Amino acid sequence: MKLTHHIKQLFPAGNIVSAHCDGPCGVYDPASARIAAEAVLSMTKKILALNPGDGSHATANSLSRFIAIKEEQAHLAKTELLVLWTDYFKPNHLEQFPELHDTFWKAAKLCSAVKVEVSQEKAEELMAAIKKIHDMFWATKGREVSYYTAS
Amino acid sequence: MWLIGLRRRYRVVGASMQPLLDPGDEVLVDPRAYRHQPPRIGEIVVARHPAQANLQIVKRVAEVRSDGRCQLQGDNPDPAQSSDSIVAASLILGRVTSRFAPA
Repeated sequence: MKLTHHIKQLFPAGNIVSAHCDGPCGVYDPASARIAAEAVLSMTKKILALNPGDGSHATANSLSRFIAIKEEQAHLAKTELLVLWTDYFKPNHLEQFPELHDTFWKAAKLCSAVKVEVSQEKAEELMAAIKKIHDMFWATKGREVSYYTAS
Repeated sequence: MWLIGLRRRYRVVGASMQPLLDPGDEVLVDPRAYRHQPPRIGEIVVARHPAQANLQIVKRVAEVRSDGRCQLQGDNPDPAQSSDSIVAASLILGRVTSRFAPA
């Protein structure tokens, strides 16, 4: 029996230490940001399709719900983007994509704008920014993953 | 046993410290290492995860900040296997001093 085995036996086993940072790590995908941004775009369109002047409770109720969901999903989209930006992307990716920081910064700003405003144009800009991030993300992994949307 | 308390034994799960530490490797950790001095860049430490109190992580110290916090990161160059954490010094439980060669 090797000496190291005997040394090891001097210490009680059973402690586990994770060489992960975020627990179940390694699962990154811009799809989560895309889904949230798509929900924002959908809610924005639904809000714009309502007539807030009709004075009915039904419209007021729908409007409140659409606004609540839009704001929640815009915030979620921003969170998902920030996780990708700060946790997944590394300095060597910046060499590969010098516009990386600018793209994320503008996308995060768009998340704020679509949360506060009712702007279909900005919601569509956010979708375009997320598509660009999708392309960069999968390029860093050397994989061809085609972009799609749910709606 | 006099050795108890001087070192704690841990088993590694996960791949973020490859190639140095493979999943299943066992290491010894000095829990007193940082009682009188702060961690230094390049040392491998065991820390409590800043967001998950019951998760202990093994990482390398990448940066020691003036406010006492440390940036920890994995050795694995594959970004999918590693993400950085900023942890307060109080969350660092000890320094990895040795690794048992795989059986």
